[in-house]
Amino acid sequence: MISAGHLVDGQGLGKAFGEQRALAPLDLKIASGERVALAGPSGSGKSTLLYILAGLVSPDCGQLFLNSLAVSQLRPGRELSEAVGLIQQQFDLVPQLPVVQNVLAGRLGQWGLFRSLASLFSPRERGLALEALSRLGIDDKIDQRTGQLSGGEQQRVAIARLMIQSPRVVLADEPVSSLDPAQAEEILKLLIKLADDVAGVFVASLHAPGLIREYFTRVIGLRQGVLQFDIPADELTSSVLDALYDLDRTA
Amino acid sequence: MIWTGPPSLRGVGRFVETRRLLSLVLIGALVWSVASVGWGDGVIHTGGSDALKAFILGLFPPEISPDFLKVVVAATWQTLVHAVAAITLAIVVGLPLGIVASGALGSPGRARLAVAGTFRFGLAVMRSIHELVWAMLFVTAFGLSSIAVVLAIAIPYAGILGRIYSELLNDVPDAPLAGLRSSGASPARVLLYGRIPMVFTDILGYTFYRFECALRAAAIMSFVGIRGLGFEIQMSLHDLRFNEVWTLLLVLVGLVLLVDYWSGRVRRNIQS
Repeated sequence: MISAGHLVDGQGLGKAFGEQRALAPLDLKIASGERVALAGPSGSGKSTLLYILAGLVSPDCGQLFLNSLAVSQLRPGRELSEAVGLIQQQFDLVPQLPVVQNVLAGRLGQWGLFRSLASLFSPRERGLALEALSRLGIDDKIDQRTGQLSGGEQQRVAIARLMIQSPRVVLADEPVSSLDPAQAEEILKLLIKLADDVAGVFVASLHAPGLIREYFTRVIGLRQGVLQFDIPADELTSSVLDALYDLDRTA
Repeated sequence: MIWTGPPSLRGVGRFVETRRLLSLVLIGALVWSVASVGWGDGVIHTGGSDALKAFILGLFPPEISPDFLKVVVAATWQTLVHAVAAITLAIVVGLPLGIVASGALGSPGRARLAVAGTFRFGLAVMRSIHELVWAMLFVTAFGLSSIAVVLAIAIPYAGILGRIYSELLNDVPDAPLAGLRSSGASPARVLLYGRIPMVFTDILGYTFYRFECALRAAAIMSFVGIRGLGFEIQMSLHDLRFNEVWTLLLVLVGLVLLVDYWSGRVRRNIQS
């Protein structure tokens, strides 16, 4: 049953890796304009859920519809790349390529094979990459070997790639975990704007309650693969979060 | 009742014993084979030590008369041409075969693995026959000619390059590939933008090494009778003209050193 209104419609999504159950069957409906935070300790299934939503991992059970398209029927290409994009926690860029190539990789879902090959030698749509990079303040690095950039700069390159790809569902796996509060806010604002520009959806895993309450509309708590709560962000209290991470504050 | 050790360690104990036994057997075999050589008379054949001395003295000086140098240059050129043609053909054939054998292309599924496995098998067959044996087969078919030499080296080398390329392409870290897939890249684009750039320097380095090997192989081939460095070495050795032999050997060493230097320069340029 496809829900006409929801951009993300997951029904009974579950995944196990061998004997390890990463995610217990879970229903998830997200409407356009929502900003969803995923919280939970490591191993709780946040990354697995994000990978399933990105179409990178097939769930063992359940169905996922993005923009009314059945993800299991989609192969890598135009439809999938327009539907969803993901920034991983780190190192999902190709270090040996110059920055411009990593950014333009966001167009690989749209380009034909010949064009993709030709662009490796002479970057097509270089202007597009330059514009995205200058909005992120790193246009001077455009021809540098990506591996030479700092961690923060590489994250911006990944964001630039996502800007070029412009998917309706923007996913981020722990995008701010290693950033100071000011940087964290800046990155979140950039990613949220990406989703807002296409009337899309933003889903990110993070831990900080302050950021969750301020920047997100909804928060989902996972623990050992099982859904613990799915509440509006402003209802998130410290005690709810502490219980999720099993912090014993009375000690 | 004999206590053979705590239950969980019994298997380990047996494994360790087998390994020790195997090591003893191997050492014993080594000792026996060395001892069974008749050290003393007959190891160096009669007149051999004199020939060895004469050979070593031939280095001072090596033969550099203009007539002989003309022969050397022609032979070097011949060997070089054979080696370059052979390695080029090996790359042109080995690279596509290696890409398919790596399983990097095609939609995930059993069909792709079966195809990849078939190509791996084909590459193994190509390399299982040594270039000298291929040469003998081709000389029978084509006679003593450059075609025979080039094909004889190119075929097993394509098999070797293909196997190494396929393993390099397979062993790349997955995170950057997942990043490309999340941008909508198909397996072919993941290959172009992810796998190949990540292993390009390694592919280049190994291919240069194989080019050195092709030089040696081409030199040896000419013992079979096609002109080249090996042929001239054999001729001069036969006539006991050791000065000439040394010139040819020095040229061969020089060629390999040159390729090695070139390879180093190219790799440093790529990495900057």
